[in-house]
Amino acid sequence: MRIVVGGVGLVTALGVGVAENLTAIRQGRSGIAAEPALLKTLHHLPVGELAMSNEALQTRLGLPEAATLSRTALLGMLAVQEALADARVPEGLRKGLVSATSVGGMDLTEHFFAEFLVNDRAGRLREVRMHDCAASTEAIARYNDIRGYRTTISTACSSAANAILAGERLIRHGVVDCCVVGGTDALSAFTLNGFKSLMILDAEPCRPFDESRQGLNLGEGAGYLVLMRAEDAAKCYCRVAGVANSNDAFHQTASSEEGEGAFLAMSEALRRAGVAPEAVDYINVHGTGTGNNDRSEGQALRRLFGAKMPPFSSTKGFTGHTLAAAGGVEAVLSAVAVHEGFIYPNLRFTTPIAGLELIPETTFRTDVEVRCVLSNSFGFGGNCSSVVFTKEEK
Amino acid sequence: MGCYIERVVCEREVTHDAKELIPDPAMRRRMSRVVKMGVMTAVECMGGVEHIDRLDTLVTATGWGCLADSERFLRTLIVEREQLLNPTPFIQSTFNTVGGQVALLRHNHCYNVTYVHRGHSFEDALLDARLRMLDGDGKEVLVGAFDEQTPSQHRIMGRMGLFRRVQDGEGAVFVKLTTTQRDGVVAELTTLDFPTEPLDETSCRARYATTDRTALVWNDYAEAGCYPTASAHAFARAVRMLSAEVPEVVVYHSYMGSTPTVIVVRWVGSLV
Repeated sequence: MRIVVGGVGLVTALGVGVAENLTAIRQGRSGIAAEPALLKTLHHLPVGELAMSNEALQTRLGLPEAATLSRTALLGMLAVQEALADARVPEGLRKGLVSATSVGGMDLTEHFFAEFLVNDRAGRLREVRMHDCAASTEAIARYNDIRGYRTTISTACSSAANAILAGERLIRHGVVDCCVVGGTDALSAFTLNGFKSLMILDAEPCRPFDESRQGLNLGEGAGYLVLMRAEDAAKCYCRVAGVANSNDAFHQTASSEEGEGAFLAMSEALRRAGVAPEAVDYINVHGTGTGNNDRSEGQALRRLFGAKMPPFSSTKGFTGHTLAAAGGVEAVLSAVAVHEGFIYPNLRFTTPIAGLELIPETTFRTDVEVRCVLSNSFGFGGNCSSVVFTKEEK
Repeated sequence: MGCYIERVVCEREVTHDAKELIPDPAMRRRMSRVVKMGVMTAVECMGGVEHIDRLDTLVTATGWGCLADSERFLRTLIVEREQLLNPTPFIQSTFNTVGGQVALLRHNHCYNVTYVHRGHSFEDALLDARLRMLDGDGKEVLVGAFDEQTPSQHRIMGRMGLFRRVQDGEGAVFVKLTTTQRDGVVAELTTLDFPTEPLDETSCRARYATTDRTALVWNDYAEAGCYPTASAHAFARAVRMLSAEVPEVVVYHSYMGSTPTVIVVRWVGSLV
């Protein structure tokens, strides 16, 4: 059975919709601002924040003003709406949803908890009803009329790639006929302070794979893909050729020096796709911009591709690191890369990492044929996942 | 291909010492209560830390995740006005911490994923494991669920009026699955279903029971109270109930009125 990507939807700091995101990337315009405009925090740190308040998002979605929905759910609802409209799923197919998130309704919980700490009878309860991860998934499903099997995956920053893996398998085994997969995460003071306490946030816009990189910038967003059997798809971006998950099993937050988990995930995804490393035309790397990730991922890339390194880039210089959504956001960009023949630029690169000498693409390329793309997503807990998309003629 | 249950262990059935199950003292020290409870139950289920080596699939499930650490980090960031925060509770608050720590114990690089879908999490994890087994990717499989209670969670859910009829709870359950019906196998997982509508006992029996001696375990919170992955405890009880007299048990679960899940287990006749 051939499973393809039949529709895509994207919301990031670059804008709402795949088209707005691509325009920004094509123009080399980053979504990373010097500090948050909406998120309530005392820190002045660069973030990739969507310039739309929750109220504006609700209006755009046609939701009543009084609705109390987490920003994570709102971002996801928009991206899934776009993906389903794009795919035009035939009537009668059982639609499922595998959604990924790491913060869930934390944006609302933060607000509630500040009041609750002072007085345990205070705080509006409707602000904690969306705390758990499933709440955003169920809200997205309700809004988009997805009535089949639904679940939520949370493996930190690799979550959405694992949602792709799960969704592909659910279709293959006939649990659902078509499956919306991806992830959503809003900015929150919780995650901003979490990464700050780990001292891996760059005070400047991030520089993935650059020798001078100082850390990541947090971003927010949602990226979803509609996976379908090839014969059901009205439109076909690419084939989901291989997805694999491996664990680095080195440290709770840091990646191993030799990038074992990353190496295993990439090798296995290519093996499942039946694709040799030489056949990869573009890699959308995890490339967070932290010293540790880029060195470790770089080692894994060198081990797998040797001297014949395909064109690669991290798009996190545009969007920031959207955590659980990252695998979805980047899978959408990767699917479009195969469909349109794009290679995206890696922003703010000047000097390769000493000892690795890996040079990412720095211009938006449309002059190449892209038949196979590899997308990497790695996370806390050692979770490493890779997705391989290949060209599929409809 | 069969999905056989070799062993099911609940948190209260852990008999070994934490030092044996989690040999690294630094790892032990950093672990919150729920992480320690989850990891210890997982290792006990595997019959010792060295047996983690043979796992090719590790799937965990939690409704709330590491609530105490999430709360600790949130509380400090509010109280300390976002200054000089200790990263440990943040690091340990991610939902996949238990799965990650089990892998880390023996540097096992195998497939590792975490489901966080409220009252379905455990069944979603079982479904993932089962499909992996059907694909031929999973032969030695560990599936587990865990959730913890905290005073704030208890207070907030109490204010919502959720504990008027049920007792709040918490727990951890791990199950070792295999594709082969070898010695030591205690039961077979025959059905896993996610009905879209609630069922009553008669229709549930009509739909899932294959014998007239089939027992039902119905929204069972007796053992560990009510919490998102409580169905894992009900599942553990169902496996213990199996015998020549009770050759099949249907576990029906609907957490706080959400759409139900159904797990059917069958006796294979070699209960130790």
